[in-house]
Amino acid sequence: MNNKLTDLYKTHKPYSQYALFGIILSLLPLLVSLGLVKYSLLTTVASILIYSIVALGLNLLLGYSGLISLGTAGFMGMGTYLTAFITADLGLPFELALIISVAVPMLIGVLTGLVSLRIEGYYLAIATLAISEILRKVFVEFDFVTNGFSGKQAQYPKLLGFLQLDRNGTYILIVFFLVLVMVMMHNLVNSHTGRALSTMRGSEAAASAMGINIYRHRLLSFAIAVAFSALGGVLYMHFVKYTYPNAWILMLSLNILAVIVIGGVRSISGTILGAFIVFGVPDLILKRLPIIGSIDGAAYIFNGLLIILVILFYPNGLINMRYDIQRNFNKQFKRGENING
Amino acid sequence: MDNMTNKLLKVENLSIAFGGLKAVDNLSFDINDGEIFGLIGPNGAGKTTVFNCITQFYKPDEGNIFFKTNTGEVENLVGKKTHELIGKGLVRTFQNIELIRELTVVENVMVGAHIEFKASLFNQFFRLKKTREEENRIRKRAEEILDHFGLSSIKDMLVAGQPYGVLKKIELARALMLDPKLIILDEPAAGLNDSETMSLVNIIKEIKNERNCSILLIEHDMKFVNGLCDRICAINFGKLLAIGTPKEIQENEQVQIAYLGKEDD
Ligand SMILES: Nc1ncnc2c1ncn2[C@@H]1O[C@H](COP(=O)(O)OP(=O)(O)O)[C@@H](O)[C@H]1O
Ligand SMILES: [Mg+2]
Repeated sequence: MNNKLTDLYKTHKPYSQYALFGIILSLLPLLVSLGLVKYSLLTTVASILIYSIVALGLNLLLGYSGLISLGTAGFMGMGTYLTAFITADLGLPFELALIISVAVPMLIGVLTGLVSLRIEGYYLAIATLAISEILRKVFVEFDFVTNGFSGKQAQYPKLLGFLQLDRNGTYILIVFFLVLVMVMMHNLVNSHTGRALSTMRGSEAAASAMGINIYRHRLLSFAIAVAFSALGGVLYMHFVKYTYPNAWILMLSLNILAVIVIGGVRSISGTILGAFIVFGVPDLILKRLPIIGSIDGAAYIFNGLLIILVILFYPNGLINMRYDIQRNFNKQFKRGENING
Repeated sequence: MDNMTNKLLKVENLSIAFGGLKAVDNLSFDINDGEIFGLIGPNGAGKTTVFNCITQFYKPDEGNIFFKTNTGEVENLVGKKTHELIGKGLVRTFQNIELIRELTVVENVMVGAHIEFKASLFNQFFRLKKTREEENRIRKRAEEILDHFGLSSIKDMLVAGQPYGVLKKIELARALMLDPKLIILDEPAAGLNDSETMSLVNIIKEIKNERNCSILLIEHDMKFVNGLCDRICAINFGKLLAIGTPKEIQENEQVQIAYLGKEDD
């Protein structure tokens, strides 16, 4: 039963679902302008979508390759500073800034991986933690470009040199990139590289025997994860228009890990669900509750408890609740008709 | 280098020690083209270690392993990377099945042709023509092999939860994807019941005849080896006892003492 459900999910081409998801998200600015939802909701949802992009990259690393990075926030922060520097200080086009601000963190990621991934996978966690701290120091100390603790500003993006986006336009751009990343992820994990990563995580012996170069594939998946972190950083910078060193601390990297654990390891829709829970629930629900809303750090407690509950009851993430729901539904439904196995 | 006209693999003075323990001790044997060759010995004799040395999972302390690759050249495998070997025509299965639970049966088999995929990362991200063409071609080949093994009906199910005998067949199917010259099987019959073992014997014979390759297998079960192998090498404590036809091995006194003596306990 469970097997069957999982296969349907795997072989099914979900492009149309992703597109529909994108269209629904794109309606949000309209709802805001009609006064149906609050202005600030757009900011919350935009940041959830940005963290979804970042978490999808990390899910490839964690869920498929079995590696852990603790440097997500650092690489994301690097993306913000680079794009701010290139567009605001140098006055270069957004597209060029996007490419450079993804490529440079990727290069640093590859260098980190080259040193740490050769021996054992878990060295990556330590190396990325170190890199992340170094990067944060750089954000503080290199104040002639980063403005130190006071932070750095940028503007909404101008596309192709003439199309100046506003807040809503930038939000739509974020939705576009999220849907693009979802499609890319789906395609990758269902092609030979995705299978190679799964094989490497499941059995290094089988992977080497089947000709999979483990070192190369570890590096590859880490480089992709870094690229998506940096992309998230670029989008963040041009939506929030402000970056500062303390936005890129270990806590954020851990929250993005929590997104995957809570939402669903190896699941694209699970990652999105996780991002809505981890980055949405505290902002949208907890803060509005009486008493709980006034507790400092209620979000941490919430995420902590949720992780424990999820690990206990849905070790592969809350997204797997849908199988239980479907099974219960089938049971209820079938009982009414006749019983056939 | 030696003359390897009719030979596919030549293991020469192979030795490896773990701490003080000599797991393989100055072992030599060779395998002919198109031969089913058995490596037998009691538990702990060093059989799996020999396999791990051939496939470069372990680096031997001494000795050479000459292999006639699928381009016809003779190469010493010692010092090569494990992941380079499948491209030379050498593939293996594992004693403790190494399949990927999260992948479907057919996806597991497709991994056996990993090195044949050439589509770039970019091409895969956007599932462009080359990716689709490769996926279709190789999926079809995997399905044909599964069909041949009578596993068509489960091809799209996850590997997790399949019965043991089926898992063994899936691993074998994965090993066949690239038309190897030499297939190394580590205890293929272990854990199988009599009818499953019979069907495995037939499959292995079929593979040898249809695919024009050699097979090196480790086995515990003497009956299985006798009915299947052209020649057998018996080892104990990492040392060679005898090489010969199944009949010669059965009649060999040393083998009887070392190996058969232990069988009836
Ligand atoms: N990686 C290893 N480290 C230490 N000892 C090992 C290792 N691999 C095998 N051995 C030892 O080498 C001997 C031969 O093992 P093995 O080749 O697995 O035997 P067989 O496959 O014939 O049952 C055993 O004594 C085993 O404990
Ligand atoms: Mg063994």
